[in-house]
Amino acid sequence: MNMIPTIGMETHVELNTNSKMFCNCPVVETEDPNISLCPTCLGLPGALPVPNLKAIESITMLALSANCSITNNGMFHRKNYFYPDLPKNYQISQFDLPVGVNGSLEIILDEGIETVEIERVHMEEDTGKSKHKGSGRIDSATSTLLDFNRSGVPLVEIVTKPVIKSSKEAVSYIEELRQLVIDLGISEGKLEKGNLRFDANISVAKEGDKELGVKVEIKNMNSLRSLEKAIDFEIKRQTKLIESNEEIIQETRHWDEDKEVTSSMRSKEGSADYRYFSDPDLPNMILTDEFINNIKKEIPTLPSDKRKKLIDTGLSMSESNHLGKSEVWIYDLYLDTQKLTNDCKTTYNLITGELQGQLRKAEIENLPEWVNSERLSEIITMINDNKISFTSGKEVLTNLIQNEINPTDFAESNNLIQENDFDEISKIVKDVFEANKEVVQRIKDGEEKLVGFLVGQIIKSSGGNINPSIAKDLLLKEL
Amino acid sequence: MNLSNSSISEINKLYKNKELKPSEVYEEVFNNAALSESIIHAHLKLFQEEGIAASKLSDARFAKGKQLSQLDGIPIAIKDNINLKNHETTCSSKMLSNYISPYDATVISKLRNSGVVFTGKTNLDEFAMGSSTENSAFGPTKNPWNPQHVPGGSSGGSAAVVSVGSALASLGSDTGGSIRQPASFCGVVGFKPTYGTVSRYGLVAFASSLDQIGPITNSVEDAKIIFNSIKGHDPLDSTSIADTSIEIPDDKTAKVGVIKELMEDGISDESKNEVEKTIKLLEDQGNKVVEVSLPLTKVALSIYYLIAPAECSANLSRFDGVRYGSREFGETSYQMMENTRAQGFGEEVKKRILLGTYALSAGYYDAYYGQALKARSLITKDFENIFKDVDYLISPTTPTPAFKFGEKTENPLEMYMSDLCTIPANLAGLPAISIPTGLSSENMPLSVQLMSPARTDSSLLKFSEKLENLISFDQRTSLLKEMK
Repeated sequence: MNMIPTIGMETHVELNTNSKMFCNCPVVETEDPNISLCPTCLGLPGALPVPNLKAIESITMLALSANCSITNNGMFHRKNYFYPDLPKNYQISQFDLPVGVNGSLEIILDEGIETVEIERVHMEEDTGKSKHKGSGRIDSATSTLLDFNRSGVPLVEIVTKPVIKSSKEAVSYIEELRQLVIDLGISEGKLEKGNLRFDANISVAKEGDKELGVKVEIKNMNSLRSLEKAIDFEIKRQTKLIESNEEIIQETRHWDEDKEVTSSMRSKEGSADYRYFSDPDLPNMILTDEFINNIKKEIPTLPSDKRKKLIDTGLSMSESNHLGKSEVWIYDLYLDTQKLTNDCKTTYNLITGELQGQLRKAEIENLPEWVNSERLSEIITMINDNKISFTSGKEVLTNLIQNEINPTDFAESNNLIQENDFDEISKIVKDVFEANKEVVQRIKDGEEKLVGFLVGQIIKSSGGNINPSIAKDLLLKEL
Repeated sequence: MNLSNSSISEINKLYKNKELKPSEVYEEVFNNAALSESIIHAHLKLFQEEGIAASKLSDARFAKGKQLSQLDGIPIAIKDNINLKNHETTCSSKMLSNYISPYDATVISKLRNSGVVFTGKTNLDEFAMGSSTENSAFGPTKNPWNPQHVPGGSSGGSAAVVSVGSALASLGSDTGGSIRQPASFCGVVGFKPTYGTVSRYGLVAFASSLDQIGPITNSVEDAKIIFNSIKGHDPLDSTSIADTSIEIPDDKTAKVGVIKELMEDGISDESKNEVEKTIKLLEDQGNKVVEVSLPLTKVALSIYYLIAPAECSANLSRFDGVRYGSREFGETSYQMMENTRAQGFGEEVKKRILLGTYALSAGYYDAYYGQALKARSLITKDFENIFKDVDYLISPTTPTPAFKFGEKTENPLEMYMSDLCTIPANLAGLPAISIPTGLSSENMPLSVQLMSPARTDSSLLKFSEKLENLISFDQRTSLLKEMK
């Protein structure tokens, strides 16, 4: 019997605002504990929260970019639970009136484009960090060290509907979301820094079942690799249980990176009742149409739009996806150059492959301003017009990166222009035939691999300036 | 003259004329404290040295003719749930008995900048939960009119210090009547401004949507002076409102509504009598007095005891022994937090946390907290409708005069009833003031309460001043008379 897995993702994205969500403390990146604190983010008696407008703008921008409907009259809610690194023992979050609802995000799979439906996009404040000594867990630790630098840092949580079908899709979804927040400029989007943190809700049902299976939440996946492995493991685990008619418990499970297994953290029965209620310290979050329209104007080209634009120039899906994820200047340079060359493949290869590679090799961080679309298009057009070979094109590019040169002049003065004159080439072919009569005979007798030898001879006698494909064509014709 | 019962404006005039110095007034109120504290226990802490120093600085300013404000050199006491930098903020709780605030509340910064001399921190019911100061972890405050009676609460200490003259005025906080009820019990003026007109930043939250800081004073004029210096939008409090005081025209006589439901069962004859006397005074001046009905006042108490505990259950979660305050030992972090909360909070606080936690729990939210929110908005609407017809509302401040210690501790519902008349103004966010009018048969003070539409605080104070002038009430307590 076929088993159908269903996955929903909950992702927290740390925003890159200068200050925290509800106070003026700077957001810092440091190992020095407890240096960016104030009465508000430390939960001192009498301190009050004041919302960070920039953070709300960022969240609204993300919600709009994920095609959500925006809640005009939203609210902040308190989510109540006790934990030592949560200073107020409640987290200011959103409940039934989040910033955005009912959105979608396009993801790229080998099979093509898939749409992942987004349930909600909402604001949250981050907690502090705990270091449990003597054991990794709070219940068995001999002591716990607390660092509140992260306390109150703005987060946005993006929750998908249970629509993801595989670990590959889940990974692709996170990649897409990551690219989106980077392109919007609202987060650094670095997984290794915890800028993106995700949990997966996984259930498995028998094919044809009308209802989804029992949902299990997986936590502690720190990389895309662990996300993929954890989901695959969990699908297998649940499938086995169903096949042997065992019960799946609704619970939260912990991904063990070393053992590559999930293990039970707590069952849902014992889980917290968060007792959400609207935060009386904060007025409603009113997002006017004017506010929303102003944010719309600030949204840069989205990854999905970039892909569409690139595909329209003639690139393949995977090329478009790759280039779409590159830095904006590469993307822009490609589009500008492509407009001039009216060619996609050579332009793509020269810019994404050669140019980026050579810059990296030469350890040049910023593209020299003279390496512009006009000069690049000159090189590409010479290649496409068979005036120079791709290899010669690379050579021109290398020099262009170093010095402000005119590519055509450079190709000419460095003897890189290929011989494309048919009569001239025919003459050379004839000469080569004369000099290699024996070889010609052997080819005619069936030793086709000797063609290459003759092509080599032709190029050699031309001094290397002959277009190999034209030479080969003429040679075969002559034969 | 008796300085501690003089008005702020009179004293300020004497300061300016160099007939009196702030340090002399401070000395007098401090002496009053020294004489009275052993009997009434109203201050939890007296800032003696600091007070002397601050009053001398004020002396110097007046000597140069450079007063900071009308409040310069005026000794004011602060309820101990309002943060004063580098001083304890105990909230009369064991939980915070060792807690020192690293920052000033916004009202404190404002008073500091006005040149106020702080006398000290005053006693309250633990975390402002109570009506008698009997819930203070540091022992109750006694009523200066008769130490066998409670001073009211939760701002009992703040009311008692004004009554006994150990401060010229004080700040209290009012969540369900905590300024007005003790002011009434102690025979002084207590004013709860419109919700949001005075910043809550630095006030230890009990129920955030109801809490409001306000003055307790000898006169309405004093209340006005203090209110004007502490009001205004605060960028640190998102619920504070810009200073847009709406005026009720005062060129003609006013129309005053008597709330029918607050003149019925549950209100003592003595309390009703004070309202009736006051109505007569108002009518004699040509004001029109009509009876109005606010049926929901009957359920106001029930609404309040769902909303306030619900908010407090979350507001008091931060007291866990992790970052500050008292800490009890536990084998794990969670056990430490549990033990700290079990030992640190008193019975009434725990009762309300449990009540609020229950009201917010999954499956009960809609039936309790959700319903209470709906009813609250209905009460607010009822007030709005009534104020289309009348300018002000009048009622007793309390159903009875100050009761005796222990009289209501066994029956929490009866204790809660003492806030019956004051709670509606908190639910609707309205300004309300308690003005002493007379004495009971047992010689305990009685008051009336005036309310007006939201943001009409200035008009309410003006009207109250007119009323106050019609009433002859001797504010000096018997204790004060004995002390002299």
